[in-house]
Amino acid sequence: MIMNELLWFAICFIVLALCLLVRLIKGPSVADRAVAADSIDILSDMALILFALYSGRSVFLDIALITALLGFIGSTIVARYLEGKL
Amino acid sequence: MRIIIDAFIVLSLFFAFAGVVGMLRMPDAFCRMQSSTNIATLGVLGVIIAGILYAAFYLQDGAMAVKLALMGIFYIITNPIAGHAICRGAYKHGVRPDKKMVVDKYGEDMVEEE
Repeated sequence: MIMNELLWFAICFIVLALCLLVRLIKGPSVADRAVAADSIDILSDMALILFALYSGRSVFLDIALITALLGFIGSTIVARYLEGKL
Repeated sequence: MRIIIDAFIVLSLFFAFAGVVGMLRMPDAFCRMQSSTNIATLGVLGVIIAGILYAAFYLQDGAMAVKLALMGIFYIITNPIAGHAICRGAYKHGVRPDKKMVVDKYGEDMVEEE
């Protein structure tokens, strides 16, 4: 099986997302953790897009779209909760 | 064409790397938020443009290209909204910037409202 370079780029994005786990674990405030989780979501989305391009199936694109939607809704709900209006 | 696609992805990877380093190294919660938008805008747009080019020229799949463009528009619209909401929520929750900050107009406005 020939490794395309898209797979290597996707692996690089996953490694960056794993580096953000440090901030997710030791972040001093709640906002840091929420922002780090949102960024991990976005980075794994990009890896999913690259894997969809590599494999040629558009199912992974649907998964990436729904993950982006859920990440936006989640971070907005966390923000509303921090504001005290929920 | 392959070189252009790789250049876009490498550019996006560079911006994502800069955002991750900023998120790990910045001293302050608000500085870290500002650095995370770097990932969300420029990092996403490079991958989206490269994906549109790849899907249009190599895979010959129009539906995938349209779906990728839809994802790009969605990211551009929703990321500033989420960033703004989470920044305001963090300020109202009690997270304060560093001691070295000199101008705090939002705090003055909140005091005036009360």
